[in-house]
Order: sequence, then structure tokens, then C-alpha cells
Amino acid sequence: MTAGAWLCLCAPLAGALLITLLGTTVSRRTAAWISTTSVFIAFAGAVWSFLGLRSHGSEHGVVSTAWTWLDSGGFKVGLSVLVDPLSTMMMLIVTGVGGLIVLYSIGYMDGDEEERRYFAYMSLFVFSMLMLVQGGNLLLLLVGWGLVGLSSYLLIGFWHEKPSAVAAAKKAFVMNAVGDATMALAFFVLIAHSRSLEFATSFATAGHLSSTTVNLVALGLLGGAAAKSAQIPLHTWLPDAMEGPTPVSALIHAATMVTAGVYLIARMHPLFEQAPTAADVTAIGGGATLLIAATIALVQTDIKRVIAYSTMSQIGYMFLGAGVGAYANSMFHLMTHAFFKALLFMGAGLVIHALAGEQDIRKMGGIGKVMPRTKWMFLIASLALVGIFPFAGFFSKDSIIAATMNVGWYGWVFWVCALLGTFLTGLYTFRLYFIVFPGEPSAFVQEHHHDHHGLEGPWTMLIPVGVLTVLAAIGGWIQFSAYWHPLTSWLEPAARTLGIAEPSTTQEWISSGLALGLGIAGIALAYLLYGARQLAVPRFAAVQRALEHKLYFDEAYDALFYKPATAFASWLGHEVEDQMILPAGPDLATGALDRSRAVRRLQTGILRTYVLFIGMGTAVLAVVFLVVR
Amino acid sequence: MTVVLAASGGNVVVWAVWVVAGFACLASGVAVVSFANPFYSALALIGNLGSLAVLYLLLSAEFVAAAQVLVYAGAVMVMFLFVIAYVGPQQETPWKGGPSWQTLGAVLAAGAIFVEIIVVLGLKAGGRLSHTEHVNATFGSPGWIGRLFLTDHLLAFEITSIVLLVAAVGGVILGEHTKRERDDLAGQR
Amino acid sequence: MQGAALMGPGVVWYVGIAAFLFGIGALGVLVRRNPLIVLLSLEIMLNGANLALIAFARSAGNGAGQIFALAVMAVAASEVCVGLGLVVALHRRRLAMDVDQLSELRG
Repeated sequence: MTAGAWLCLCAPLAGALLITLLGTTVSRRTAAWISTTSVFIAFAGAVWSFLGLRSHGSEHGVVSTAWTWLDSGGFKVGLSVLVDPLSTMMMLIVTGVGGLIVLYSIGYMDGDEEERRYFAYMSLFVFSMLMLVQGGNLLLLLVGWGLVGLSSYLLIGFWHEKPSAVAAAKKAFVMNAVGDATMALAFFVLIAHSRSLEFATSFATAGHLSSTTVNLVALGLLGGAAAKSAQIPLHTWLPDAMEGPTPVSALIHAATMVTAGVYLIARMHPLFEQAPTAADVTAIGGGATLLIAATIALVQTDIKRVIAYSTMSQIGYMFLGAGVGAYANSMFHLMTHAFFKALLFMGAGLVIHALAGEQDIRKMGGIGKVMPRTKWMFLIASLALVGIFPFAGFFSKDSIIAATMNVGWYGWVFWVCALLGTFLTGLYTFRLYFIVFPGEPSAFVQEHHHDHHGLEGPWTMLIPVGVLTVLAAIGGWIQFSAYWHPLTSWLEPAARTLGIAEPSTTQEWISSGLALGLGIAGIALAYLLYGARQLAVPRFAAVQRALEHKLYFDEAYDALFYKPATAFASWLGHEVEDQMILPAGPDLATGALDRSRAVRRLQTGILRTYVLFIGMGTAVLAVVFLVVR
Repeated sequence: MTVVLAASGGNVVVWAVWVVAGFACLASGVAVVSFANPFYSALALIGNLGSLAVLYLLLSAEFVAAAQVLVYAGAVMVMFLFVIAYVGPQQETPWKGGPSWQTLGAVLAAGAIFVEIIVVLGLKAGGRLSHTEHVNATFGSPGWIGRLFLTDHLLAFEITSIVLLVAAVGGVILGEHTKRERDDLAGQR
Repeated sequence: MQGAALMGPGVVWYVGIAAFLFGIGALGVLVRRNPLIVLLSLEIMLNGANLALIAFARSAGNGAGQIFALAVMAVAASEVCVGLGLVVALHRRRLAMDVDQLSELRG
């Protein structure tokens, strides 16, 4: 079982190293297949450890340590992997969906000059993500966390000739660094109190810390999670990250990296249970994000950006669930979200690929006519996203929405927000669908569309799409809360849902019914506005402008952080650098020259002066001897 | 009584002599350094040597006083005067020349040394120098000096003679005419 | 013990005069440019030292001081001999009688 975990962890790393070392000696296609195979081997390892854990009995996780990495004073950290229900679930998702996406990229990235680099980065990313979820202690989790940030930077900025891509990569990295900083501070507090970063000790220590301290630690962890998962206020990097290739968006910014924050909260849930303030902040942040992101998505014109804001919104749901204590529900939604969101991105990728790179939806009308399979797949994914029975999102999202009902008076506020979010989700998702797919092909489509030997794409792209469509359709049936819940039971030892987050059956039915109704209402409105065009889209200029500017977050950060920083830097450049540091070298030289010129006057060449120096020296020495005596 | 009077009277005489000799010594020392004309400086030095001889007498160093007058004032200074006469008058601006800080530095350095010695004397005056030994009549006499030279300090005596020899040889060599000068002189005859 | 005390001022006063002579001589060496005057100043310094020696010899009742003073006198004589030889040689070669200009060992 642990062997499977080690295999899972090391296979993608081996793949990345192999591609790097082989370099140009292998063809680009071979490098792509090396990467894909490594991820599928990792999937096999994940399945192995999953089955092993099941037969072993999953009361506790098993930690397998390779060797002691750090040993400093009383502080020991081992290079260890953790095999427990939560980590195996994440392993399966990461390697499964990841493997499909890497397979998809073989077709998508075909022809790119730097394919090898891409696949090496993809393998590196899968390895980093696995280290994050499998890390046996917080330090390894942090290592995986950082490596994931690095891989994200490398992959977003993959087309490094595009300045927008480079800027987006930097933005993502810097924002993640802010989150990393708060996380590191939280870890320092933990080390200060317990001298250990093992999960078990941290949980035990949490019980002994003062309320303020544990809240601060939890907030620090939340900061990191919010940055990684693009929650407000550290969310502005995610839309820009769409500059990267579409499979990257699918893998990193839909299925895996952005879910790392949710995983962290679920993993550290004993800490969050001791820190109710931080948990509330999590839920509030999640609720705010899901609404704000959904509203911004209503006005986006880039197909990938709509899906990106959708991701932000759905992860808001997951944070909301985690904040109120419904960890298993959040993880469930994480899984289904991975299916249908990756599918949405892949579909978008097929469309973009067929239209030779165009991403503006206003040009894409009616493409469903020439790409029917894509249209059906996109439709299923959209229905799953909105949460329509019987597709996957229905089960997972509704479980989160229902969980908020019993949490307290503010739980009802969350409940209302979540339901409103469902309506908005239906609206923006089907706005996208109706604008892009049905109807007659637009002039642009007719002109630029090209297909791939009669199919809508190469088989490497179609097979993953097909698999994910099936999963998005039936994946939700793994858990239907009150009636059968293998997933919650499976996750019970690692992430037990709090009692308050379990609604009664009637409440669940009411909530699900409302959510379903609102979702359908959203779809209907979208149909009226964008499909049949029977209603004119209402235009409120100020609101429209605000939404198009993404609620001015970027401008605010620019004014708050970027401008002062650059002003300070340029001030430093003028005052310190130009006035003090740059002249320092020449000044040192000229100073030395001047001093030496002064001293040189002592060398007169006249005998008498040297005798004078002897006399002066004698006088001084006499004084010295007098004093010392 | 008469001894006491004579003693006290002798003391007054000694003091008076000391003051005069001391003053002469100091004044002639300053004069040596100040005169522009080396001839006058040499004469001032002779005066200095003379007053020093008087002071030596006061310190019961009769032989040394005699040697001072005979050798120093008599032979060395005469040699000086010969050379000054040979070299002739010089144009000199005594205190000028050299770097600007030379004069000031010299005054300071010399003054510092002087002051320091005075300070040390002041510190020691109460201690080691407070008591002066009583000496008998032979102290400072030539026989006594001779005996010391030939017994306790024989090595100094011998080495001094070698030094004198070396100086004599050096003087001869330095005074030698160069070949060209010899040829010139020979040509002139 | 037998013997006469020192009459007149104490030994310290003689050493004071010696110090003054030494200082004046040093000043002369440092300030004057004519080599002859420099040699004369040097003589003053030596005499100052001599006076100190004699004074201390009297103070301690030890003859070594006077012996030393005589040796100093002999050495001074030798040194003056050589120095004056140098001055004569300078004059013969028509060099300037100025120690500032005699800064190189060249004829």
C-alpha cells in the first residue's frame, strides 16, 4: 500500500527528469508519451494504495518515512508519505484527471516547438501536486505547495514570447507568494509551540493554544489556501492565468492546484475546529467569492475567462462548505468539479483548436453545427456545473448548500447566497453555451473552422473528453447523502463532517429542490436572453462597467501595492542608489587618492624632515614610556 | 663657626658661579643656533664649552673639565674654525627652506623633548635624585680617572682609541685630492 | 661617611640645563641648512648629554659617568673630524652648502 504511494509520487518526477535529461535526443511525441505514461503509472500506484488502504482498514492513515530529512535540535522532519482516506482520494483525482488531461495535451500541443518543455513541466506539476497531498508532514506539504506554485508559473508563462503570458505568470507567482508567507508564519507559530510539524502533533497542540493564537494560525493557513485557490482577496491572478495553454488551465486551474486550498483546510480541520473565527472567515470568504465571481462571469467575452470565473465561484462553494464544517461535502464537490470543469476546459480547447486559436465568444456563434459531439459534451458539462439532476454537480453542490442550514443564524445567510449563486451559475454557464454553440455558424466560424480528418479532434483529445463526459454524467451517484454515502464514510477518519453541518432529510429535500429550481430558472433566463433572443439583455452601464473591470480589484491592488512599491523603488534608486551607492566606488577611489596625496607631502626628500620625524617619534615614545612606566 | 660661615659663604659663591655659568651656557647655546654666520656660531660654541667646563668643576669632575677645554675647545673647535675659514662666507637664510611645517614641527619636537625631561626630573626629584652622595677629594681627579680607565673600563678605553684611529684614517681619505685635481695642480706648477 | 656634600644647587638643576642644551641642539639640527651649523648643533647636543652624565655621576658617586663622558668626547672629536672632511670635500667639488640640496649620494 505504501509502495503504491511511493510509486505514485515518484513516477511523474521520474518522467520529468527523463524528459529533461533526454532532451532533444527523443522526438517531441516521445517526450509527450513519456510524460503521459508516467502519470498513468502514478494513477496505477494511486489505485494500488487505495485498494491497499481499503483492505487494511482505514481507521488511521499510515505514514511511511523514507529517511529523516531535517534533524535540528528537537525538530525532526522526515521524508514521509501519508496514506489515508483523504490523501488517497486526492491522489486518485490528481493522477486520474491529470492523466487524462496530459493525454489530451498530446493532441492539443501537437506542433508546438517546445513540446518537450511543456511535458516536462506537466510531469513536474503532477509530482508537486502529489507531494502536496501525500506529504506526511506540514513541511513536505509546504514543499509541494511551493513546487506547485513554481510549476504553475512555468506553465502559465509557457509561451514566454507573449508579454501578457509572462506578466500573468508573475502575477500568479507573486500572489501565491503572499499566501505562502502567511502559511509560513502559521507554521512558525506551530513550531514555536510544539517543535514539530507532524500532523498529529499539530492537531494535539491546537487544543492547548490560546484562542487568539490558534485563530491566527488558522488564518495564516487560510491566507495560503485563499491565494492558491484564488479566493477573494487573492483571486486576481486566476483570470490572467488563462494566458497559458488550455490543458494547463484544465489541469492546474480547474481540477488540481486551485483545489489544494480546500485540501489544506480539510486536512487541518482539527485546527479549524479550534478556531471558529477563522472557520467563519473561510465561509464568509467562500460565500463572497462565489457570488462575486458569478457576477463577473456574466460579462466576460473570452471563453476561457468565463470558465475561470466559474472555477473561482465553485471553489467558493467548497470553501463555504469547509468553513461550516462539511469537509466531506467539499471534497465530494472537489471531485465532481474536477470532472466537469476539466471537461469544460477541454471542450473550450477543442473549439479553440478548431478555430485556430480564437477565444472571443462573440465570434464563435453556432459552432455546434460543425462540432456536434463537442456541443453535446459541453452541454452535459454545463448541466453538471449548474447542478441539474441527474448529473454530477447536483449531488455535490446541493450537499454543500444544505449543510449551511443548521449552522446558526448566519448559516441562513450563506444558504441564501449559495442558492443565489446557483441561479447565477445557470445564467452565466448557459449564456456561454447559447452564445457559442446553437444556431447557424457565424461568418467567422465558417471561414476559419477546420477539422481533423473529419473528426473534431485527434483521438488523444477525444478519448479523455469522452471519459470525463461519462464521469461528469454519473460521477455524482457515488453519494446521495442520506441514502447512500460511501464517500463520507470513506473520508470519516480523516475529515469528519461536523454535526452542525448535517441537515435533516426534509431540509435536504427542500434545499435541493430550491437549488434545482433556481438553476433551471437561470438556464431559462439565459435561453431567453441569449438563445432565443426574445428578451433584450438589460444594460446598466455602471454595473456593466464595474463587472467588466472585475469589480476594480486589479485597479485597487495596483494603487495600494504596486504603485507605492514602484514609487519607493524609484525613490530608492535615485536617492540611495545614485547618490550613495553608485558614487561610493569612485568616491572611495578619489578619496584614497586625495588622502594619499596629502600623505605624500610627508615624503619631502629633505633629510631634515626625516630627522624631524625621528625627533617627534622620540618625543611620543617618551610620553608613552612615562605613562606606562 | 668660621667653617659654617665659610661653608655658607662658599655656598653663595657656588650659587653665583653656577648662575653665571649656567646662564652663559644657555645663552651661548641659543647663539650657536641663531647666528647666520658660521664663524660666530663657532665662537659661541667655544663659549658654551667654556661654561660647561666651569659647571663640570662645580660637579667635582676636574679631569673632565680640563679635557673639555684642552680637547674640545682647544682641538676640535680649532679644527672647526679652520674649516670655516677654508669654506668661506656663506649665504644663508637660517630659518627658511624646506616644507612649511618643518620649523614649527622642529620647535614642537625639541620643546616636547625638553619638557618631558623636565617632567621626569620633577617626578624623580623627590625620589632617587633627592640624595646626592658625598664624595671624597679624589673623586674626579686625574689619577682616579686613570685608574678607572685602566681597570674597570678598560674595554671602553681601548675601543675609543680604535674609534679615533678610524676617524683619522677617514679624515685623510676624505681630504684626498681626486686624480683630476692632482693633474690640475700638477699642470698648474 | 667621609667626603664633601655637593654645594650649590642640586643635581637636578644641572640636568635641567643639560636638557635645555639637548633641546637647543636638536632644534638647530632640524632647522639650519648649513652643514657646518648642523655639526655645531650636534656638538651642543653631545655636550648636553655629557653634562647630564657628569651630573648623575656626581649624584651617585660613581665614576662610570665621567668615564662615559670622556668616551663621548673622544667619539665627538672623531665624528667632527669625519664631518668636516665631508664639508671640505663638498666645497672642493663646488656643491652647494645646503643639506636640503644634498639629498642624493652623488658626488
